[in-house]
Amino acid sequence: MSFIGDEQFEGGNKEKRHREKRRDGSKDRRKRANAKRRERSRADRENEEFEERLVKREKGRRGRVKNDQEAKKREQEEGAGAQVKSGKTAKVKKNIKNEKRRMSEKAGEAGERTEKGKKRVESAKKETATVKHGTRDKTREERKKKRKKVFETSSEHKTSEQDSEDKENSEDKEVKPESLSPDELEKLKEAVDEKKKLIQSLRGKPWPMKKKLVTLRESQQFLEKYEGALGKGKGRKLYAYKVMMTKKWMKFQRDFENFKTACIPWEMKIKEIESHFGSSVASYFIFLRWMYGINMILFGLTFGLVMVPEALMGRPYGSIPRKTVPRAEEASAMDFAVLWDFGGYAQYSVLFYGFYSNQRAIGWLKFRMPLSYFLVGVGTVAYSYMVVIRTMARNANESGVGDDNSFNFSWKMFTSWDYLIGNPETADNKFASITTCFKEAILEEQESRKDDNIHLTRFLRVLANFLVLCCLAGSGYLIYFVVRRSQKFALDGFENHTWWERNEVNMVMSLLGMFCPMLFDVISTLENYHPRVALQWQLGRIFALFLGNLYTFIIALMDEINVKREEEKIVKFNITMWEASLYNGTVSENFTASPITIHPADVPRGPCWETMVGQEFVRLIISDTMTTYITLLIGDFLRAVLVRFLNHCWCWDLEAGFPSYSEFDVSGNVLGLIFNQGMIWMGAFYAPCLPALNVLRLHVSMYLQCWAVMCCNVPQERVFKASGSNNFYMAMLLVILFLSTLPAIYTIVTIPPSFDCGPFSGKNRMFDVIRETLESDFPAWFSKVFSYASNPGLVLPFILLMVLAIYYLQSTSKSYKEANVELKKKLQMQNEENKKKNKKAAQKALMDLEEARKVALESAGHQRNNNASFQGQEARDREMEQATRVPRPSNHMSHRTPGYLPNFPLQSEAMIRRAPSLQRH
Amino acid sequence: MVSGAIALAFLPLLLTLIIRYRYYFVLFYRAVLVRIWKDCVTGLSREERAYQYVLTHSIPGDPDSILDAFDYWCNKVEYISNIGPKKGKILDRILMEQSPLTVLELGAHCGYSTVRIARALPLGARLYSIEMDQTNAAIAEKILRLAGFDDDTVELIVNPSDEVIPRLRSDYNLERVDFVFMDHWKKCYLPDLQMLEECGLLGKGSVILADNVLFPGAPKFLRYIRKSGLYEWKIHRAMLEYSKGIRDGMAELVFQGIK
Repeated sequence: MSFIGDEQFEGGNKEKRHREKRRDGSKDRRKRANAKRRERSRADRENEEFEERLVKREKGRRGRVKNDQEAKKREQEEGAGAQVKSGKTAKVKKNIKNEKRRMSEKAGEAGERTEKGKKRVESAKKETATVKHGTRDKTREERKKKRKKVFETSSEHKTSEQDSEDKENSEDKEVKPESLSPDELEKLKEAVDEKKKLIQSLRGKPWPMKKKLVTLRESQQFLEKYEGALGKGKGRKLYAYKVMMTKKWMKFQRDFENFKTACIPWEMKIKEIESHFGSSVASYFIFLRWMYGINMILFGLTFGLVMVPEALMGRPYGSIPRKTVPRAEEASAMDFAVLWDFGGYAQYSVLFYGFYSNQRAIGWLKFRMPLSYFLVGVGTVAYSYMVVIRTMARNANESGVGDDNSFNFSWKMFTSWDYLIGNPETADNKFASITTCFKEAILEEQESRKDDNIHLTRFLRVLANFLVLCCLAGSGYLIYFVVRRSQKFALDGFENHTWWERNEVNMVMSLLGMFCPMLFDVISTLENYHPRVALQWQLGRIFALFLGNLYTFIIALMDEINVKREEEKIVKFNITMWEASLYNGTVSENFTASPITIHPADVPRGPCWETMVGQEFVRLIISDTMTTYITLLIGDFLRAVLVRFLNHCWCWDLEAGFPSYSEFDVSGNVLGLIFNQGMIWMGAFYAPCLPALNVLRLHVSMYLQCWAVMCCNVPQERVFKASGSNNFYMAMLLVILFLSTLPAIYTIVTIPPSFDCGPFSGKNRMFDVIRETLESDFPAWFSKVFSYASNPGLVLPFILLMVLAIYYLQSTSKSYKEANVELKKKLQMQNEENKKKNKKAAQKALMDLEEARKVALESAGHQRNNNASFQGQEARDREMEQATRVPRPSNHMSHRTPGYLPNFPLQSEAMIRRAPSLQRH
Repeated sequence: MVSGAIALAFLPLLLTLIIRYRYYFVLFYRAVLVRIWKDCVTGLSREERAYQYVLTHSIPGDPDSILDAFDYWCNKVEYISNIGPKKGKILDRILMEQSPLTVLELGAHCGYSTVRIARALPLGARLYSIEMDQTNAAIAEKILRLAGFDDDTVELIVNPSDEVIPRLRSDYNLERVDFVFMDHWKKCYLPDLQMLEECGLLGKGSVILADNVLFPGAPKFLRYIRKSGLYEWKIHRAMLEYSKGIRDGMAELVFQGIK
């Protein structure tokens, strides 16, 4: 019941206790005053605690006060007009202590609130009507008695008196379950059920949101109050307990959900960004988080199964040549510049391939290091494939079978708003973009009908692509040139060249990767595509650029590998000579004993191309990361700072005009991420530290980019939803995964490992480790089975079978798709037919109705005539009566009699019934 | 020594900047370089040159032809930041809708917008046009006379706007201004608006139209009208006058008074 003041909900228990005492007979006023005070203080405390909620609640209270008075007006015949105001002021005064802030706000909203109050009264009336019935009679008597007493004894001034009276009313209105008759209980139960129903159906009601909220809150409070009151004696307690427990359980579930959301890393951050920048920017961050997860697993694999075992159980640093810094480099091995280039001590550590020894088993666990190294290398790639493909499949399922082409305008009409936007500026932009989108779509539609300007757009698109191709070719040539030059430098020896020349390749690659997308972006304005399509084109172009750059780099690396292998041959020859000289010890030179102990740092060694490849990749990653961060700081942050603070003293508006703030570049960032991942996949085999580095990088860039986006970017001017592009990213990731595993696999399979470094040293090929393990660690039958299984005669049919299966699945899926399209068409046709039929039926019904009305009118006229021709005085009286009554019954009759309305009710019913069933198909 | 290849890698950036901001470069060329060149060559000021052109290429007494001549000159010959034909249409429409009786124009420059406003005014309306610069005001006066508007319709006040506005009530017996058009110094938009508020010249329903609020831009002005709550406002987005690619806007404020 909405008569009860809010304080009573808050101070529920205490209040109840007091009430019981009172009921027992000791109706002490002072106690009641105490209780009131306590309630009040408690209410105040609560107020302070839940400020936000209380603003609303305050409104509710006000509404309720009004309610109260309205009810009183209805029930009592006393002059309540004066009380309305006084009651209100009393309430306000009561809260004045801790709600000064809100008071001002209230004053502003007073008008609005009174309206709301009225509405609420109306709704409350409906709700409370049923219950009131049962309890009203009883409570009214009691109340009267009490009021008498109050009037007699009260010495307080008028407002507080009114206040207490209000409370009195509300207290008395409370239902005491024990005192209710079964009949009333039944009614209460009904009311409770009704409320439950109301809460359930509230969502579908065509009410304004405010009303819904108010109704919901009120009915929930009602339920809270009275659900426990049902039942009798023990049953009642049990019931109350049950209700309480379910409520607690639900609350716990909700809290648990919240907790789960809080456990998802960066969820709140991403949500905030989403609210400011729309879902396309958020999709980047979600992708970044997903990538982070994958890299965590890759990192776990390499770290747990390769790096840690080698560091803990393998031979320590300095024990064998491959684990020692050579004598020539020892002096500078700890220099920061060398370490930064991942030379020196960093090169001769678990971070790189060359450090691992080729012992078959290490430590007391007999850990098979080379096998583990190989399997981890294969496993990371396999895992990545699996995850990417699985995610793609899931995304494909989610995206469903929406065809964007058939209902262009209705799609735009009903689905263009991004409901995740919570920032007014973004909302403005979105609004503007929707309107422009509509304009453009209308224009497009017109143009497609006119078909005159299409040649120009086509020409422009071709031109744009041509320009982009030129740009790509230029950048490719530049990289090729730089790589060739760096090889020349390498032949000369790097020491003779400056830092710029030494880092030329990385610098040029990073710079091109940074600036070319900008140029593409500018060029793509020529094409005049929809932003979503434009984004995909942009992505494709940057993809091509990056891919070109990466492959140029790899080709250069291959050249270098070949050079190193030549070098290795020479070194190998020299070493045999050297060893021979050591052991033979030409008589003239020295007289050392035969088992010579040479410090491992002095032993000559091969160039170890694997470590070189790993180092290159690590350097590339580092320089890429640095470029990204520096671009972020200069291009975004510094620009934002300049724009923000120079704007006061500049001759044009920097914020709206020339430099302005930057927008977040979704496509570039996504591609950067993807290519970064590709490099990780490519290089992780030769540098086990790469996943760790990448995790670090992703972690930092998550925070840095979140900050940068929120701090120095503005929402895109053309905000659009990123609905379809997620799978596009995934597809690109898959392509990159394939393209990056290709060179890695090529090197593993074709190039023999170096003879004196890495876990596979001494073997002919790296995958020989599998055969070795099969031979020595597994029983003989197993290797036999394996050799049979790997027989081409078995493998080829198996592959054939797989291909056939894939073909079959693909063709079935195609046929399903076709069937889907057919069904859709059918559905549409049926709908149209239905509409036509319905229209026809409605027209017919309308005509019939009109006819019937005519007939009815005629019959009424007839009747009147008959009546008139009846008889005498009495008849005239009756006639008067009938004349007033005539139209209604005759109409009524016409509905029922089939003679008047041929077919109408039957047909319409059938139509109505048929329509939804058809739609459901 | 930075290697040439690295320098070449900056080429795309350079190209991007040139392509993206080409309109600004063009504007810079037309509004600054050409102006300085012509000033040196002819010895006349830009406004005088414009006036000469208009005088020889338009029909006296016909505001439309004067405006056309102006537009042609600003488009093809040189550049003067008048309101331009496209944004002028918005101005015309607002004037037609409101049909104000008292109009205040801040910044007449060489009279283009004054003619444009005076042309659209209803019978019996009066336009007060404020221009700070003496020579510009002289040219504006000549243009006005050429267009056939007399002192009863247009009153040209040669003074800075911040001096004139406080005296409008006393000197010109203005009770209320129905329409204000701002096209003078962008920095003065805000102080002048506040001054208008203080003097009580704005009544409920008075319309204020401010040109060039996005480029060159009046950020403080926009911030103020967003915050103040005295106005219902919207921005008509358009292109900068006589230029294709630079976005600009006019702010239309409707004074609501204190609610």
